[in-house]
Amino acid sequence: MADAGAVITAVRHSEQAGHRTLTSFALAFIALGILFAAVAASLGDVFFFRLATEALIFGGLALSVDVLLGYAGMLSLGQALFFGLGAYVSALVLKNVLPSFWLAMAVTLAVGTVAGLVAAVISIRARGVYFALITFGLAQVVAKVVFNTPRLGASDGIIGIPVITIDLVGFTVDTGNARAFFLFCLAFVMALYFLCAYLARTPAGRVLAAIRSNEDRVPFLGYPVGLVKVLAFVLAADVAALSGALYPMLRGFVSPELLYFEVSGNAVITAIIGGMGTLIGPLYGSALIVGLKSVIGSYTAHHLIVIGTLFVFAVIFFPQGLIGYFKRPLERRLGARSASTSP
Amino acid sequence: MNAGSPPHDADTPLLAVRDLSVRFGALQAVDRVSFAIARGRITSVIGPNGAGKSTLFNLISGAIRPDSGQVLFRGTDVTGRSPNRLLDAGLARSFQITNLFFELPVFENLRLAAQRLEPGWRALLPTQRSAHALRRAEALIARFDLAHKATAAAGALSHGEQRRLEIAIALATQPELLLLDEPTQGMSHGDTAETAALIKSLAGELTILLIEHDVELVMDLSDHVVVMHQGMKLAAGHPAAIRANPKVQAAYFGEAAVA
Repeated sequence: MADAGAVITAVRHSEQAGHRTLTSFALAFIALGILFAAVAASLGDVFFFRLATEALIFGGLALSVDVLLGYAGMLSLGQALFFGLGAYVSALVLKNVLPSFWLAMAVTLAVGTVAGLVAAVISIRARGVYFALITFGLAQVVAKVVFNTPRLGASDGIIGIPVITIDLVGFTVDTGNARAFFLFCLAFVMALYFLCAYLARTPAGRVLAAIRSNEDRVPFLGYPVGLVKVLAFVLAADVAALSGALYPMLRGFVSPELLYFEVSGNAVITAIIGGMGTLIGPLYGSALIVGLKSVIGSYTAHHLIVIGTLFVFAVIFFPQGLIGYFKRPLERRLGARSASTSP
Repeated sequence: MNAGSPPHDADTPLLAVRDLSVRFGALQAVDRVSFAIARGRITSVIGPNGAGKSTLFNLISGAIRPDSGQVLFRGTDVTGRSPNRLLDAGLARSFQITNLFFELPVFENLRLAAQRLEPGWRALLPTQRSAHALRRAEALIARFDLAHKATAAAGALSHGEQRRLEIAIALATQPELLLLDEPTQGMSHGDTAETAALIKSLAGELTILLIEHDVELVMDLSDHVVVMHQGMKLAAGHPAAIRANPKVQAAYFGEAAVA
């Protein structure tokens, strides 16, 4: 056939327009982070560095929500379970075992994977609202158990997590240094983002989109739906747990509140406001929400009224979220450019 | 010719069902149905509404389990196997109700299905590396005259185009046996004729088991016809013999005179 490959090329161009758009937003996020660091450092600030680091950490949690919600169409209302678990495991390792970043992360990854597998086996067969309720219930159970376990500090949580030095190849980052730790967290969370974004574009990741679109048809294409959903769930659990593991390094303590529904619910709101199914949207959403909470919180104690109202307006007027809203025009321009530059 | 693997001798039918039965509550939907289909042929199952045709299809394709009886594929008992394991064996199906990934592009619908042709580990490499699957999807999109709609969402296709895509998806995995569940359902007259020609052109490459409402189409296309009535096999044979069979005529046109 004369035009063999023509369809494949056309399809690739159309896919690349979407992919390049999201990558542009990701690179812009990194640029904004570095710009922020430069400005804040020149002002000799610590408070805003800590706040921005917190936004990154909760952004990682919202990213994990988007892996499930935006790709597989699974709404998890219990993502705080893995986030809090990561925070507690990291805190316990750093305080009681060895103040080593890599050990804390390795143990967190192992525990997150096992917890993810167990929770997946319990919840994965349920769909839609039932899946959401099971994840919600599991997180509540674990939160109550932690709250009532004296060895985990019960309602007080664990305090006195030591400041640690993260050994990277060639240099080190001290978690007590607000600027350095912010930049480290930026790199860490973006690495999680790029991993998820890569997987989403592979044939394996695309099965998730097929499951969201028409789950019952997928087995007739020869894919094991249950296994794919379990793997996606475990990936999301690991992303949430690894993000949570950064929390005690930032704040020096962990408390049962990290496992509460407010954290899970906030992550869902963050993912939706930022733009579901974009993966980078949740990071922008987190910066926006953590920033707004802090700014509005300094004027009024009722900042949740403002945030709640904003959420309602955002969902009504920007149902695609922040990135979803800006994605289309940019995608069209990038699509037009790649079409005109292609041979 | 697939010489080599042992159960491939010409005497073994590609598919055989033996005394297949399933009951839904008080309804005996499929009642001790047996038949076999030969390689490279088009076999059709016809029957009035409620005769148990679709249920029979669901039993063969692993969508539901029979209460009793066997499904033999290449002489191997595959009764109750899951759809994805049947696909491994070489048995694919299309659906009566258009059952696509409506939000995904047309090409992606086919690529997802064709990905089965690639080794599993390639699922974690960039999609462009699965060249075999991409080429298969491209060949099918051209053959089914959907290339101009490659990047459109499947949900945006016309009904006739969606029905064609439905068949193309089932073909993507290069099955040995293709089960087509009313492929021309709801199609216009012109689309129906086109689809019939398409099905006929496939017959040389693989074996087809077809459920169809359109009796004329079946008579024209099929090498062998199985007639079902009230869950049971009423008759089976060459289209001309079926057309002349008084029991079949009664089931279709009479008032259940021969039930």
